Amino acid sequence: MDLAKYAELFRTESREHLAEIDTALLSLERDGDASHIAVLFRSTHTIKGMAASMGYSAVEQLSHALETLLDAMRCGKCALDQVAIALLFDGSDALSQSVNDAVEGRGHLVSHAVVALLERLASAVDANAPVSALSQTNSTHNSATYDQDSSATPNAFPAVPQSDHIFGASLLPQDLGGLELSDAVAPVKPTIAEKTIEVRLSPDASLKGVRALMVLARIEAIGTVRSIVPAQHSWNDDTFDGTFTIAVGTSRADDTIEASIRGAGDVSRVTIRAATVGRGERETLRHVRIDLRRLDTLLDLVGELVITRDRLVRTSDAMSENGADRVLAGVVHDTSRLVSALQEEVLRTRMVPVGQVFDRFPRLVRDVARELGKDITLITEGREIELDRSLLDAIGDPIVHLLRNAIDHGVESPETRRRAGKNPKGRLILRAARDRAAVVVQVEDDGGGINRDAVLKRAQSQGLVDPDITILSDDALLKVLSKSGFSTAVAVTSISGRGVGIDVVASRVRTLGGALELKSVLGRGTMFTLRLPVTLAIVRALLVRVGAETYALPAAHVMEALEYDAGAVVTLRGQETVTLRDEVVPLLRLRSRFGMDHNCDDGTHIVMVEAGGHLTALQVDSLIGQQDVVVKPYDGVNGAETLFTGATILGDGTPALIVDLGGLT
Amino acid sequence: MGSRTVLICDDAIFMRTMVGDILQSAGFEIVGEAETGVQAVERYLQLRPDLVTMDIVMPDMGGIDAVREITKQDPAARILMCSAMGQQALVVEAIQAGAKDFVVKPFQPSRVLEAVNRVLAA
Repeated sequence: MDLAKYAELFRTESREHLAEIDTALLSLERDGDASHIAVLFRSTHTIKGMAASMGYSAVEQLSHALETLLDAMRCGKCALDQVAIALLFDGSDALSQSVNDAVEGRGHLVSHAVVALLERLASAVDANAPVSALSQTNSTHNSATYDQDSSATPNAFPAVPQSDHIFGASLLPQDLGGLELSDAVAPVKPTIAEKTIEVRLSPDASLKGVRALMVLARIEAIGTVRSIVPAQHSWNDDTFDGTFTIAVGTSRADDTIEASIRGAGDVSRVTIRAATVGRGERETLRHVRIDLRRLDTLLDLVGELVITRDRLVRTSDAMSENGADRVLAGVVHDTSRLVSALQEEVLRTRMVPVGQVFDRFPRLVRDVARELGKDITLITEGREIELDRSLLDAIGDPIVHLLRNAIDHGVESPETRRRAGKNPKGRLILRAARDRAAVVVQVEDDGGGINRDAVLKRAQSQGLVDPDITILSDDALLKVLSKSGFSTAVAVTSISGRGVGIDVVASRVRTLGGALELKSVLGRGTMFTLRLPVTLAIVRALLVRVGAETYALPAAHVMEALEYDAGAVVTLRGQETVTLRDEVVPLLRLRSRFGMDHNCDDGTHIVMVEAGGHLTALQVDSLIGQQDVVVKPYDGVNGAETLFTGATILGDGTPALIVDLGGLT
Repeated sequence: MGSRTVLICDDAIFMRTMVGDILQSAGFEIVGEAETGVQAVERYLQLRPDLVTMDIVMPDMGGIDAVREITKQDPAARILMCSAMGQQALVVEAIQAGAKDFVVKPFQPSRVLEAVNRVLAA
């Protein structure tokens, strides 16, 4: 069997489990609740199984050693303390590393670091309690069949439940050895049953969404939640009627579950059924893994199809004006509708919940915060919001930048916070939300905020800001921080480093067709907002003519279009401006910006665009109209400044460049 | 056992009186009141009541921060949040901060007592 083709699958799936491990470790560290060990165990066990099938011995050994330690913790043979948890974190790191090594062809090698870790893992198990022959059998047995969730504390967790022990012992002949005894007893262990719980809240319950969350918290405490219908994020909607269904794996009896749920209050009915989910099938949705490149190709083809459709519609319209075939027009109309539906569906297949990227961050925040001696809770919101896969991959780094900045320079040290009368534990919120056609991702901290005066002084000394300006608005502040030349090397402590990276983030977000916004209040915190299109593939654009060419201006930035009036142009400090409802707006003549021959009065229209937080008036030759354009990547000329974010092909087959409005102004 | 003790935290006298009356008529003893989050924390530590009713929006330190502060000092504290309509997100935050249950204004005595009993039974 050729294993190579499974390697990527192994890596992808292992990463998902490693992410689960990190999440569970963070929870374990936070609340010390032994129930997280079940999750850790399951994920580690799955990785072990996969690695064994692939012949990746280093991964297998490491996951086996972790499993043994986890089992010892579960049985209360190994203390569940900070030292042990730190060891598990190291183990997870090493496991992640060895998964990569294995996939990249170094799977048979066991590195020194791994050997050292294996020793630490083994001694952690030994040091806490010498493992007897009986319990060793037990733990091996448990590790093979282990699937029980436990909310009890480790000490209340003997290897074999006490009652079973007595029960088993009383039934078995006395002369049986401990080994057989444990084997005989093992099957009596409570095992996980998959259940579907339907909960109906009282019709007059207030804040049903909150009450439902309280019910969910209680269910989470006694089992592993597999799915929630309707989705949790819809619980805050007005349409949520207080009825929801949760699929859960639990070892508890139905009446215990029901009593616990009713304890949350305002519950009018609880229906518990055995789930019909097959063994090992966790998802209620069925998935097929598809190579992303296939989806890209599919999207490209659909893009072409959309363009062709537009041409077809145009041709057909022209023909029907001449009294041509109405039947043809009907067919064209139907085809057009189907193509739109197909396009939407293809775009949807590329949508991935942002949670997939967000899941990386709790660990990152924890590590960075520890390193810097900060105490920070990361709250993620809107994990279910969907973004195009390619966008999602692209926003990871900017978010990391913003999170690091927030931890390093935003959130103060615990002492400083205490002195300022704040909770010594800093709070970092990573939030995704839909905002009309856009998706916003926000990184918000409750730290000290950016010291505007210090930034202003510094920016003025570097000649970046007019000396007569006395206060920086949020927009102006962002502009200064986004200047790559804005040096922060000198100790302006509350902002040092802020500038570094912000320019990278800003330009990255702009190339994605989005915008970066900033809000900062001294002493209260800072919030960066990334405003992103849902997909990179299709953009609504205003088509304009400049010279002999057609250009597309992304409609998200277009505020309005006006007739050009040469008499209204006023030159202020060498800058041509027009006045729009009392606001003086700089005028940019696209002909000259694009290096064409120009004559001031060539343009018939100006288009007001908002980019980088301010208005600019663009003079164009003429307006053509609005339409959705399919974006094709545009590489530009090597080394040349690019004014364009992409190109598109119009309905009549001619190409048009998509103007980078952020870079233009 | 004597009657259960309650600390009422709300910046409006009207609300304090109303909650006080509801609880008193059910046999609770109001041992203290607080108008701000800071006061709430101080009084809690000083009085150690069986139950706290906590308004979400208060001057000085909001109810949610007060919950955080109190549960940090006493994880077993039993706090009932009093919220207005439309504060769903804040109530969630309060529960995550350690409040045990919530009631929504305008208060119906029966609902308040139900919630109080749930909090005390937990």
